[in-house]
Amino acid sequence: MSDYLKNFLRFCLIIAIQVLILNKIPLRWWSQPLGFPLFIPMIYPLFILLLPFCTPVWLLLILGFIAGITVDSFMNTVGMHAMATVLIAYLRTNVLNALLQKNQEEYAGQSPGVKNMGWFPFLTYSFFLILLHHTVYFTIELWSLTNIGYLLLKILASTVTTMLFVITYLLLFTKQSARP
Amino acid sequence: MHNFILFIRRFFDLILFLGLQIICIVLIARTQNLMQGNDVLSSANMVTGYMYDRQSAVVDYFGLRRMNDSLLSENVQLRELLARFSSIDTVQVENVTRAYMDGADSSSVVRYAQYTYHKARVISNSVSAADNYITINRGSDHGIRKNMAVVSGSGVVGRVTNVSPRFATVLSVLNTKQPISARLRDGTFSFAFWEKGARPDELFMSDIPQEIRVSIGDSVFTTSYSTIFPRDLLIGIVERIEIRQKDNTQYLRLSPATNFRNLQYVYIIQDDLIPERRALEDSVKKKK
Repeated sequence: MSDYLKNFLRFCLIIAIQVLILNKIPLRWWSQPLGFPLFIPMIYPLFILLLPFCTPVWLLLILGFIAGITVDSFMNTVGMHAMATVLIAYLRTNVLNALLQKNQEEYAGQSPGVKNMGWFPFLTYSFFLILLHHTVYFTIELWSLTNIGYLLLKILASTVTTMLFVITYLLLFTKQSARP
Repeated sequence: MHNFILFIRRFFDLILFLGLQIICIVLIARTQNLMQGNDVLSSANMVTGYMYDRQSAVVDYFGLRRMNDSLLSENVQLRELLARFSSIDTVQVENVTRAYMDGADSSSVVRYAQYTYHKARVISNSVSAADNYITINRGSDHGIRKNMAVVSGSGVVGRVTNVSPRFATVLSVLNTKQPISARLRDGTFSFAFWEKGARPDELFMSDIPQEIRVSIGDSVFTTSYSTIFPRDLLIGIVERIEIRQKDNTQYLRLSPATNFRNLQYVYIIQDDLIPERRALEDSVKKKK
């Protein structure tokens, strides 16, 4: 399967999971134990995180914008998701450079993943960018620091839940090497 | 010129990044404007509306029992209302009978067929954002226009913000942009609003003077001052009363009449006199 088709299918899958399942979580009565603030785990930045190493920055930016605007139009928050996603798309290359052992050019035709980066670097990479994405998004959404505790709690809870979903996704969609 | 092109090639990524961020900021700033939403990039557009429609067609089956119960209780309420108007005991209240007989020519009774109700199914709903939107499966093809009021069987839901031919989005009462004009039992006017970070089952009213006597369990209704909602729709019920020390006013917490978590069907109210009223009020504003 070509890289373009694979990434397009992944885009559709991740957006569908985000919009049709994750966005509905706060509507259930059990989503709010003990008056905990409502939050939505947002896994769609994973699409940007998993694009191949060789993707140029301008393409990352445009794909980030498209992904953000798509989620925005589903959630009626025009521009907010796009802004956060464009930011992490811009910073992705720098974070990868800091974490990778070898140069990025040496990973020709590969995507960032558990297999070629290892669990710990990949989780650091995704945790950092997702935390950044959530911080930017929730700050824009609330746009005030009057209840900063609420803001921080929401960012933290959302990031942790998103990371759980990211790990689940990786466990499901990473090809295991065939056992001898 | 050569240097300029070199500069652009050197910093192309940064320039693109800043350009996209500026586009986002412009989009965000434009949608913060109250009366004009963004029609294309909202969940009222064809693609998003279609997907939500498909999804709710599947998911709705699981809520049919609850749905049935809420319709039954609404029916009881409507029947009681009907009974109050139709069954006048003519033996006991003679004046009423005479009034009916005397007013036989109906020309003296002016009737305003002011409100038309449209029904719609909720195909998408949110309660966790700072401004929450609901998508419904009726649009301009069915006579829905912007700024119409949306109510559920039990109380106020919101107002229509974006309309496409087959779908519309509704800004629910759970938003931080626009409070609703509200009235307490004794006629005190104030605003009912939602706060950032509040739970979806609470609304607030502030600045009620202390001499106004409010008790827990009082109903709060919409007023006739609003150019969106008809009057006397139930907004919520007073749940808690606090006294703010700094200005000696009461701060009320309401539990909303509508359960925003499981909205399935809503009514859209078309008010035939509202355009005339808005035009008049706008012309007054322009003169100033």
